[in-house]
Amino acid sequence: MDNPTLQKIAISGPTLASLIQRFSTSSSSIDGLLFGHVTHVTPLNLTDDSSTTDSPTLLATVTGFLSSPSPSTTSFFDSSGTVNTSSLHRLLLHHNSSLLGWFSARRKTPIRPSMHEFSVTASLSSLSQFSSPIKNATQPSNFNPCIFLLFASPTSDHTAHIHTHEYRAYQFRRAGNSFEAKSIDIINIGPAFRGHYGSFSPNSMFPALDCEIEGSRMKEDEERLSRMKQAAKDKKELDDYAVGFEIGKLSKLMGSEAMSYTAGLEDLYEKMLVKIQNLTRSVENSSAKVLELENHNRKLKHKISRSAASE
Amino acid sequence: MGGVTDTVPPFIAAHLTHLLSHFPLTLKVQQMWSSDKYNSTLFDRFTLLIPYCLDFIKWDIIYNADSPSTAPDFIFGPEDCDFHPFHMASSVEPTQPNNSFNDWNYKDPSRLLNLVQYLRDQYVLYQRKRVEAVDDDRLKFEISTIISREGIEMHLTSSAEKPEEVKFAVPLMDMNINKMVPSCPWRYSQKIYLQVVYPVGRIYLSAPSAPRLKLVSSPELKALFSIDDIKLPPWLDGMCLAEYLPNLEEYLEKQVLEAVSLVDVRRHFIEALACLFGRPVEADPVFCRKATFLSASGVFTFLVHIIIPTQFPKQQPALMLQSSQHFNAQMAPIKSRLISDYPWSPRWEIPLMAERICEFLADEALNFKRQCSEGQLQ
Repeated sequence: MDNPTLQKIAISGPTLASLIQRFSTSSSSIDGLLFGHVTHVTPLNLTDDSSTTDSPTLLATVTGFLSSPSPSTTSFFDSSGTVNTSSLHRLLLHHNSSLLGWFSARRKTPIRPSMHEFSVTASLSSLSQFSSPIKNATQPSNFNPCIFLLFASPTSDHTAHIHTHEYRAYQFRRAGNSFEAKSIDIINIGPAFRGHYGSFSPNSMFPALDCEIEGSRMKEDEERLSRMKQAAKDKKELDDYAVGFEIGKLSKLMGSEAMSYTAGLEDLYEKMLVKIQNLTRSVENSSAKVLELENHNRKLKHKISRSAASE
Repeated sequence: MGGVTDTVPPFIAAHLTHLLSHFPLTLKVQQMWSSDKYNSTLFDRFTLLIPYCLDFIKWDIIYNADSPSTAPDFIFGPEDCDFHPFHMASSVEPTQPNNSFNDWNYKDPSRLLNLVQYLRDQYVLYQRKRVEAVDDDRLKFEISTIISREGIEMHLTSSAEKPEEVKFAVPLMDMNINKMVPSCPWRYSQKIYLQVVYPVGRIYLSAPSAPRLKLVSSPELKALFSIDDIKLPPWLDGMCLAEYLPNLEEYLEKQVLEAVSLVDVRRHFIEALACLFGRPVEADPVFCRKATFLSASGVFTFLVHIIIPTQFPKQQPALMLQSSQHFNAQMAPIKSRLISDYPWSPRWEIPLMAERICEFLADEALNFKRQCSEGQLQ
């Protein structure tokens, strides 16, 4: 059975921004999975015009994604564009929100779905075992992962200083075997997005907490011990950053003492600035190292491909 | 494609060179560019122009320099967004190429060629289906009569600005022109096509108008036979292609045979000239369209270029003189204008034609000599 027609695809500003950031910082193309939820929304059209129909709209909200450089060995599809269900299952293991579809981001290409992307989308949207329930639906119905988000940068980009990222959203229709372009709503905070709060469902991802008790063999204990040591070390490092920020001192900021505490406060801010500066410097250094390694890897790759071709 | 190997990763270069040199049609690479952010000199994507229905289709071929072992991806033209070569209903199951995708071997240079060939074949079927779906009775009838022609291609153009049109490229005459020319230099098989364009979707027209007709040949054929000289027979009211084509083909066949026989007439003419001027310095041995002789008038030596039209001897050859002793300010040898208004009769015997040219040149050489000395002084 074909999926019901989506009226809109919504994505939160930060999710879109982080997707684009992932794309623009990767050295080549990337692709990955899109997560979120599909909801029936009754639009709150509080207009005097009574002619507006009150038919519920179907809205897909993208709340998260999982990306990998493409093409890679960790992909959920093979080179002919067929989805490999077992590797897809493996990727979904730690995700509790439902799969809506996938995205592809490729550099310097026309913003049209490619032959390969068509095959992957067709294959993915046919897998009803990965479908998710539609929320607020009048009768229980499911939604197959049929959303495709395409990102591309223009082919002729002579201005190296301006980064253009185009994106399009599609719903794949199995009935017509075709892509249907959908408009994208970018959700930000503000009165214009009030309607979205109705369909808001928090799905923050907490790291899996280590509180299992079963299995008390020595080896596991050792493992746990080392993990605890690591956690203690991490905590100490964090505490170092917080020196001078003790909760007790904060109470001085209130009441009659506050006036005489200005000097102390300024001192606090100064320390904070120094720490931030140190932090940025170490981030900068580590990014430089990462870039260096990436370039080195690229050179090695080209060397391999050259030697393979000359064989 | 001389520079290919410098800027294109070797595995892509191998695929591309094989494709360009072995594909049965003339392909063109329109542009190449790099996907890489840092190293923009390593080209791994390109736009391929593929001849289809007497026009070109443009496909972007997307490789990844970073992962040479993956098969390339294709992005088809914006007007072909419904073309899905591996998901075509009722076509032959694409078992073969699908498999070649699965065990894509980038070390095999012929893989890209096989893929492009398969995709183009699928494209032919796709366009045929689109044209067959057009709701137009005359068109349906025309298709039924010409569909069996081997190599026929059709195309449905639909754009917002222009009304819909169906274009056919009908290959004419089942003759191998390449075999008719001795020591033929052509790499691709020479064909003559009739382009037929039907406007569709204008149901309010009571009498169907004549389709737009045009003869098209490959540019190389011009050396033997100029398609522009052919006057198409008129399209009568109520005619259909099945009536029109046989007459046209019969007429064209005669024209081609005549054009082939005229090669020998030109050869005799050059041989006759050689009796008077001596061995030619240079001559076109296959189509006999050009010959250059060295001649002298007293101490003034000059070259005579003779350009022989395909309509020879009905049309007279054009002559051009080039001095061996006079140069202009750019140090290029001084040349005369193209002379084609000297005494001529197509009814003369060939040796007489050569003689009359020789006589004419004796006088013309003096004029040209004067022109040269003046030209050099300036």
